[in-house]
Amino acid sequence: MSTLVPHLFNGLILGLLFALIALGFTLIVGVMEVINLAHGSLFALGAYFALTIIGVGWFDDTAFGQWWLSLPVTPRYTLGLVFGSLLAGLIGMLLELCLRPTHGKAPLYGLLLTFGAALVIEETIRVVWGTGEQSLPLPDAINGAVLLGGMIFAKYKLFAAAFAVVAIGAVWLFLERTPYGAIIKAGAHDSEMVRALGYDLSKLRMLVFGFGSALAGLAGIVMVPIWGMRPHLGVDVVIPAFLIIVLGGVGSFWGAVIAAILVGLAVGLTGAYAPAWAMMSMYILLIAVVTFRARGLFGRKSVLEQ
Amino acid sequence: MISLSDISPRSGAWITPQIVVFTVMLLTAPFWLSAVGLYQYLGIEVAIWMIYALGFNLLFGYAGLHSFGHGAYIGVGAYAFGLFQHHVAVSLWGGLLAAIVAAGIAGLLVGALVSHRRGVYFALLTIAWGQVFWFSAIKLHGITGGEDGLLNIPRPPLDLGFARIDLNDNEALYYFAAGALLLTVILLWRIAHAPFGRILQAVRQSETRAAFVGYEVWHFKWAAFVASALLAGLAGGLFAMAQQSAYPDIMSLHQSGLIVMMVLIGGGLVSFWGPVLGVILYFVARDVLGIMTETWLLWYGLMFVVMVMFRPEGIAGALHLVRKRFSSRDGAASSARVEPI
Amino acid sequence: MALFEVRHIHKRFGAQVVLEDISLDFEDGQVSGIMGPNGAGKTTCFHVLTGFYKPDRGTIRFDGTDITGQSPQSLARKGISRSFQMMTLFDQSAVIENVMVALPEFRARQKHLVSAVFSDRTLVDAAREILDQVGLLGREWEPSASLPYGDRRALEIGVALAARPRILFLDEPTSGLGSEATRNLAALIAGLRERYTIVMIEHDMQFLFDLADEISVVHWGQVIARGAPAALRQNKWVERSALGELA
Repeated sequence: MSTLVPHLFNGLILGLLFALIALGFTLIVGVMEVINLAHGSLFALGAYFALTIIGVGWFDDTAFGQWWLSLPVTPRYTLGLVFGSLLAGLIGMLLELCLRPTHGKAPLYGLLLTFGAALVIEETIRVVWGTGEQSLPLPDAINGAVLLGGMIFAKYKLFAAAFAVVAIGAVWLFLERTPYGAIIKAGAHDSEMVRALGYDLSKLRMLVFGFGSALAGLAGIVMVPIWGMRPHLGVDVVIPAFLIIVLGGVGSFWGAVIAAILVGLAVGLTGAYAPAWAMMSMYILLIAVVTFRARGLFGRKSVLEQ
Repeated sequence: MISLSDISPRSGAWITPQIVVFTVMLLTAPFWLSAVGLYQYLGIEVAIWMIYALGFNLLFGYAGLHSFGHGAYIGVGAYAFGLFQHHVAVSLWGGLLAAIVAAGIAGLLVGALVSHRRGVYFALLTIAWGQVFWFSAIKLHGITGGEDGLLNIPRPPLDLGFARIDLNDNEALYYFAAGALLLTVILLWRIAHAPFGRILQAVRQSETRAAFVGYEVWHFKWAAFVASALLAGLAGGLFAMAQQSAYPDIMSLHQSGLIVMMVLIGGGLVSFWGPVLGVILYFVARDVLGIMTETWLLWYGLMFVVMVMFRPEGIAGALHLVRKRFSSRDGAASSARVEPI
Repeated sequence: MALFEVRHIHKRFGAQVVLEDISLDFEDGQVSGIMGPNGAGKTTCFHVLTGFYKPDRGTIRFDGTDITGQSPQSLARKGISRSFQMMTLFDQSAVIENVMVALPEFRARQKHLVSAVFSDRTLVDAAREILDQVGLLGREWEPSASLPYGDRRALEIGVALAARPRILFLDEPTSGLGSEATRNLAALIAGLRERYTIVMIEHDMQFLFDLADEISVVHWGQVIARGAPAALRQNKWVERSALGELA
């Protein structure tokens, strides 16, 4: 049984990070009624932006670059974390602008557009950062191993879990305790109503897209030291995000979090018994859930059902 | 915006002027391909992808079911062809039949599970299934050769009884593929305009109404899925023959996405010939633009995104609108009538 | 025995009971009406009768056969057809294509992969005959999406007619129509009554009272009154539910 613990722990971390991704995804679906197939690419983009901000590969030959690289990793990493996700959020807002011409039309066009955007972003990553495997430099404080309760844990994984919990809490605070958050929540439930109340729907959409994309980017930065970093990293992210909102219900905060943890644990457990099939388990789970049951555990009939 | 149903012919002809023009272009391709500085193998690739794209559009454009995981079926076809040559017999017809049947069975099984859905759920399911097939191709390396794929697939000769044609020559294989393409075009043209094709279009426009006038809607969705898989299988078999190998990449989401982009850009949503135009444009981008810049795929993807934003009718749709503008400029009353293309 | 018999239909959504012990009869050759205020359950009732929803309890018999719980497509093949309040046309197709695909003759050929359709005179003539019944003859090739609203309503009924039903269910056919279009529609339906048994939900009381032989009033999920229009005017339940004022 104790051999399962590391896998369950991995699964938990995965689940918490999936929760961040899914939260952004579900808010976008709720307010915009668009399934953002580029969400995974924004996840990857966040990580690559952070890579550049930390200074890998770019600044070597300028004076500024030399100075930047001479700084300790921790401030550079922190800035990478913050600005990498913000930049991902910005690209998300750009994507929202591109989606505007498709608004009145059938949902197909939004889907196709985000699909195309996903491929464009992936291709851009390939062109700009290269096709090879990269790795994100980490501060020493969160690198290495630590002994806890007789078992060895990677410090980074503990950091990732803690970070995810804090981030989820921050998102919850934002949604529940700030006026912006309240509007976003309302919009995710009934965007028509929000417009009727006088809020500018297009600004709201852009805000939500930016926020959701920034969350994705943040999750990406935190996740790549565990998952690896390649241009087509994003592909494996949209499926779990979609699975999670189908299970947890569109627009439901706790539905997304709980479903995400369940999915993460499922992947972690599969990793214990059939490691090669761990990622595949998500696809199979999606097929099983959507084929046989499509309404969520927490949500109501949503835009996904036409 | 216009749609496939706007540009529908009323005649019952088997062969239309467009088909004749297309045939002529296909038959003379080896001559003008080299004249414009391109190579013979390209013709084979284009013919194969046209078969794939036309079959795909029966599902995508006509039935309105957006499959983002169709690479699975061309892949199954390719592997089936290769495995037949390696383990059963070196046979052209046997291999192609194996390719078509295998892809058809895959389409039958997956189709049975996805055809009750539509829209976003359908799309995500097809992505998931595509990934399952892709992953299986990599993992089952005992059968499929894993990441490297199946290699050394022979090109069996074409045995016509009175003559035996060696298909190792690219020109000969091109004519064979072109023949398959022509048959595909003629068959699909009839299917699209027969009752079956019309009902598919009705299902696309309103599943509810189609059900309420008596059609078992999911049967039709399933049938369209299987038909497009069968043709993808044919394309896959030819593909394995042309490249003499089969590998997992063709089933990747990336490749499945390419066929979607090709078909939409060409105008598959509004015209039978859309996929043909789309395939041509893709290969022009790859082989002409690709010479000038390594980032051609990025530009192609951007073009797709811009088209979805502003011109989802694609090239065929744009051509149709241009033609309408010219004909109304000639003084003909621009009445709101549905005209055949 | 009535052509269409509805017995003790009960339908709930979650905890909410929408239909409670609904029993109705629609006689062959008559025009029957269903009326009632919004949210009273008449639309749900319609959906149950036409196979869109399955009832939780109760039976529906058509021409003596039990059809309870059958799918809309199965019902359509048996001769039960309906039009929709929210228009559900094949909006990317021409007028004649909308009608043609609903014809049973067309449906019989659904597995045909290669036969041409528009060069088949019998199909085209059958479709045009339907268009004639709803007053759209001569506009076969117009795109259905660009028809004026009143004509779209006529086409909506035309598609239902093309399925050659024995009983035709019309869901608020006057919805959104102005007074002239409503008069035209009344004439159209009056013309249809010779050939079809018709059941209509309507809000337009005058329209219903002029055309229907018998009207059922659905309120609070139940049939609270039933009878000929003249009799209903005196009915106390009708008055109570404030419908009487409008009649």
